[in-house]
Amino acid sequence: MTTPISFILNGDELFHEVKDHWTLLHLLREEMGLIGTKEGCGNGECGACTVIVDGLAVNACLYLAVDLDGKRLETIEGLAGSDGTLHPIQQSFVDEGGIQCGFCSPGMIMSSKALLDQNPTAGHEDIKHALAGNICRCTGYVQILESVEAARDRLSEQAGGRNE
Amino acid sequence: MNNINPDTNQEFCVIGKRIPKLDAAQKAMGRAEYIQDIRLPGMLYGKILYSKFAHARIVKIDISRAKALSGVHAVLIGEDVPDKMRMGFYKDNPPIKKGKVCSFRDEVAAVAATTPEIAKKALGLIEIEYEELPAIFDPEKAMEKDAPIIHEMHKSNVLNLPWHLDYGDVEKAEKASAFVVEERFTTQWVTHCCLGTSGAIALFDAKSNLTIHTNTQIPSLAQKDFLESLKAMGLKNKRVRVIKPIIGGGFGSKLDTYAYEHIAILLAHAVRKPVKILFDRAEEFKATSTRQPTVIYIKQGCDKTGKLTFRDMRMVLDNGAYTSWGATTPSVMMMPITSLYRVDNVRYDAKCVYTNNTYAQAMRGYGNPQATFAIESTLDMLAEKAGIDRVEIRRINKNHPGDTTPQGFKITSCGLSECIDAVQKQIPMDGPKEKGIGTGIASLIHVGGGARIYKSDGCGAILKMDDYGKVDIFTGGTDMGQGLDNITAQIVAEELGLFVEDINVVHSDTDVCPWDVGAHASRSTFVAGNAALGAAKKVKETLLAYGSKLLNVLPEDLVLRKRMIFSAKDPEKTMPIDKLLRKAHFSPQGKMLMADFFYDPDNENMGKDFKGNLSVTYAFGAHGVRVHVDEETGKVKVLDYVAAHDVGRAINPLLLEGQVYGGVVMGLGYALTEEVILKDGETMNANFRDYKLFTAKDAIRIKAPVVETYDEFGPFGAKGIGEPGCVPTAPAIANAVYDAVGVRITDLPITPEKVLAALKKKKG
Amino acid sequence: MKAFKYLIPESVEAAISFYQAHSETARYMAGGTDVIVKVKEGWMEPDYLISLKKIQEMAELHKNEATGELSIGALVTHATLEKSLMIRNDYPILYDAVSNIGSLQVRNMGTIGGNLINAVPSADGAIPLIALDGVALLHGPEGERSCKVIDLFIAPYQTILKPGEILKKITIPPQAPLTGSGYTKFGRRAAMELPLIGIGVLLTLDEESETCTKARICLGVAAPTPMRAQGAEAFLVGKKITEAVLIQAGNLAADESRVRDSIRGTAWHRREMIRVHVRRMGLRCLALIKEGR
Repeated sequence: MTTPISFILNGDELFHEVKDHWTLLHLLREEMGLIGTKEGCGNGECGACTVIVDGLAVNACLYLAVDLDGKRLETIEGLAGSDGTLHPIQQSFVDEGGIQCGFCSPGMIMSSKALLDQNPTAGHEDIKHALAGNICRCTGYVQILESVEAARDRLSEQAGGRNE
Repeated sequence: MNNINPDTNQEFCVIGKRIPKLDAAQKAMGRAEYIQDIRLPGMLYGKILYSKFAHARIVKIDISRAKALSGVHAVLIGEDVPDKMRMGFYKDNPPIKKGKVCSFRDEVAAVAATTPEIAKKALGLIEIEYEELPAIFDPEKAMEKDAPIIHEMHKSNVLNLPWHLDYGDVEKAEKASAFVVEERFTTQWVTHCCLGTSGAIALFDAKSNLTIHTNTQIPSLAQKDFLESLKAMGLKNKRVRVIKPIIGGGFGSKLDTYAYEHIAILLAHAVRKPVKILFDRAEEFKATSTRQPTVIYIKQGCDKTGKLTFRDMRMVLDNGAYTSWGATTPSVMMMPITSLYRVDNVRYDAKCVYTNNTYAQAMRGYGNPQATFAIESTLDMLAEKAGIDRVEIRRINKNHPGDTTPQGFKITSCGLSECIDAVQKQIPMDGPKEKGIGTGIASLIHVGGGARIYKSDGCGAILKMDDYGKVDIFTGGTDMGQGLDNITAQIVAEELGLFVEDINVVHSDTDVCPWDVGAHASRSTFVAGNAALGAAKKVKETLLAYGSKLLNVLPEDLVLRKRMIFSAKDPEKTMPIDKLLRKAHFSPQGKMLMADFFYDPDNENMGKDFKGNLSVTYAFGAHGVRVHVDEETGKVKVLDYVAAHDVGRAINPLLLEGQVYGGVVMGLGYALTEEVILKDGETMNANFRDYKLFTAKDAIRIKAPVVETYDEFGPFGAKGIGEPGCVPTAPAIANAVYDAVGVRITDLPITPEKVLAALKKKKG
Repeated sequence: MKAFKYLIPESVEAAISFYQAHSETARYMAGGTDVIVKVKEGWMEPDYLISLKKIQEMAELHKNEATGELSIGALVTHATLEKSLMIRNDYPILYDAVSNIGSLQVRNMGTIGGNLINAVPSADGAIPLIALDGVALLHGPEGERSCKVIDLFIAPYQTILKPGEILKKITIPPQAPLTGSGYTKFGRRAAMELPLIGIGVLLTLDEESETCTKARICLGVAAPTPMRAQGAEAFLVGKKITEAVLIQAGNLAADESRVRDSIRGTAWHRREMIRVHVRRMGLRCLALIKEGR
């Protein structure tokens, strides 16, 4: 029971034959070798597998790959620039100590991106609300929240620079 | 902050800087490879079948249907495991059980198959007939005479372990005390919840040498465990290579080897292919270990002036069905019991008791949070009884540099007093009272300069420099996210006048890295740091000797800084370090710069009476908290938190703060929300929905003032900080709850229900 | 996960005919946040999963400004409701509930219809819809029918839906002026919680803003299915709402509840939380009415 789907992965149009029962997480990790998206629980309770579909953060472990047909998918692999420059959110996580063991980081960064794409002026409470589904055991979230705030400021500076 | 290197009188270039984690960019890009991400050619997938009962005899086991399933390459049961293959220091735990099961997490069979799905299906085809036995889940009841015996080879459920000390004269001191308090405390099972679940891949080469990729904090001791397994399997004189991938969190969980690792070895040997076992989240909750739960009886007294006279503690520890490091946590509990504050007369006794529950392991703090919960809670009770301010009683009894504690711990540097100052500055404890708002304080002592619990407390480092001024350092130390790679690189860079970018840290592959006892006891910065520093110093000496020759300057006048070597007296005499290295290499009788160093700290194993200077230096800290207690619901909300720590010197404040914040929030979970719920031995909440870790929405802003005491033995003065953050959190919260609403919660976690029940009881 | 065939009908009728073709082994799926977990865990073993995601008419959120009736398609996600200013302003009880279900990721996928049909005693989505006198529109092989949202539930994990029947939408009758509502769930954490207890209160006052003309007190996890504390509601109607009156209503509601002990909490504490939060939510209703919402 396979179904052909086409979707846009980090800007590239792709075709893939997927089995109906594959999750998006399975497709990414096991079939495409994109290991950046992590599995922390498999039940939508930890956020380690967070990816962005049509602008919305979702758990790849609960999202069926067939449902990706016609959609735009962003994963952690698509964030850094083609010259290797980290995305401002990634750079902020690096600089502010938002990463320790790193297992939650890709999901955490994708949740942050979905938030800041939608709400570039997100405040502290907005950030806490948007990241509540991404469990981290190492950092106590303090430096993660600081990372997202720094990323927000960095992005708005960049946007300001472009507008001038 | 003192920013001058005492060795060179120059300002530090690298030490003390907020340098991001070296692997953070890789992790941020999703390129870091965890055990989840490793796939070897021809690899099979192993799965483990667990017991369906807490205590039962295995009457019959039929694996024929599982074996017949297409894609299944091996099915193992207890009978396939060599008798001598047993895990844990008490050697009571075979990786697959035979004849009888003693807990729900008992492994009864294992399968290797071509896909995880087939392996799982095969488990479902294994038929086992059990005969249920009477089980026991309460450790105090398990000590009673007619309790069912869990391991028949022992006559009692009480383990034969030596946890007893008696210093001074406790009974006399109690009689002489002006004030005495007594209380019973209980602490729950909590678990590490590493975001990356456990896993291992084992494979044998043609000569039966083993390579195992495994999540471990103890590559060298794991190697020893696996060698013993091979020996039990009849494979003598073989090599074992342990490779640690990037680990998705440790916190003590990977301090012992687990059944799944030994089972992966057995399966890989059976099929002669790589076999990977990877836990799912439910398995991670059910089949990895917890923090040691405790029942604590404590009595403390003081004289009229508030000076502590004695401390008398007794504990019963639920050992679970098998024995891992949880049973040795009393050795660390002894530290706060004998040495947190000055107290001359101390008695402590702990019994570890088998039950049909899960068994405990090491977890951040290693018994210290449990003991400190009881000590610091009763200290507040004592202060109240004696009519002394609760901060004052801590000042009266604080430890001092130069003290030797009753257990023989030699306190070198001690910033406890400054930590208490820092807490009070942020959260005044004597301010005006608001309804439902309370403040609490609690202190800690922890090992900060290694901990000699094994025959060696050492760590090795091998350092080599190339022709371009770059360094590879091979360390025994393990980075599991806490940032040891940075500490190592920063220490080496500072010593050799290089930048962190010039240092490549290679760790956790036993084929290339020297021995280390493991990433435990907050020892890595101190011990692995000193190992790296020792190797760097040796290379530096050679560099200076060459430099002296080439620049015609006395070695003692030479400085290494920012990739240059130059004369302190005549900065014109200078040369890039890489050029110097090439000159050394490409000259007659040329030389590549390399050095090794094995640092074994000058600490002592504890004697039979548990006296001995366990650590070269000790870490201190104090936490303060302001909470609001909703008197109608019992819910505790943390308003402000300050965690002040004496860290010797902050090698990297960014990472240091990360350790403190993470520790505090783990401690807050311990205090308020987390518990593994076991019902008749079975885990009822093996998921993140019902095991209540703090979420980002629960996060609080934490202040982490750093007290620097520049320990004379620490690398650049540093002491350990991995664990202390979660040690005094629970008592600080419990004390604040008492301050807020006048109820003393003695059973963790402090749930709304318990607080409300206590409030109702108080109101009558 | 067990293999299945995924069917993607584009109309309710097509979905039903798919179901009829495979009735023994087919299941419907909306957002998937519950169904996929059930299939993964082996609690549900469908050969066919019929996705409702592409049925446009079920994804509409619409308020008829002329009649004041609100229509929520069963496929409307929690996040859509959370982000709607109209919901936030006009139906605070619904906003309170949906903005704190699971994680944002789950709310982006999970639907209000799925939340109802999953029929867990703790379903956050059900309480506000019951308080708002929501009506569920069902469509099955035998045609359409409707029922009150509260009547959907028979037992934990069990609804009145017949084989092949689909929950299409929920309609909310127009709200009287001077109505206030609020929902709170009690748990240990600030997020990612299944409620220990969920409490929704809706009050309508008369023109003088004094006497209660309508009251809804709806409770989650207080009984095997979501319930209304009708004794407490009746007690409030006709009374001038004061804190003292709300305390009595809380006591009545607590007594009416059929709370139980579970691993998540004890019955006595749940009862206490009903007592406290009926009052607190009642006061919030009054505050909202005063603010003019």
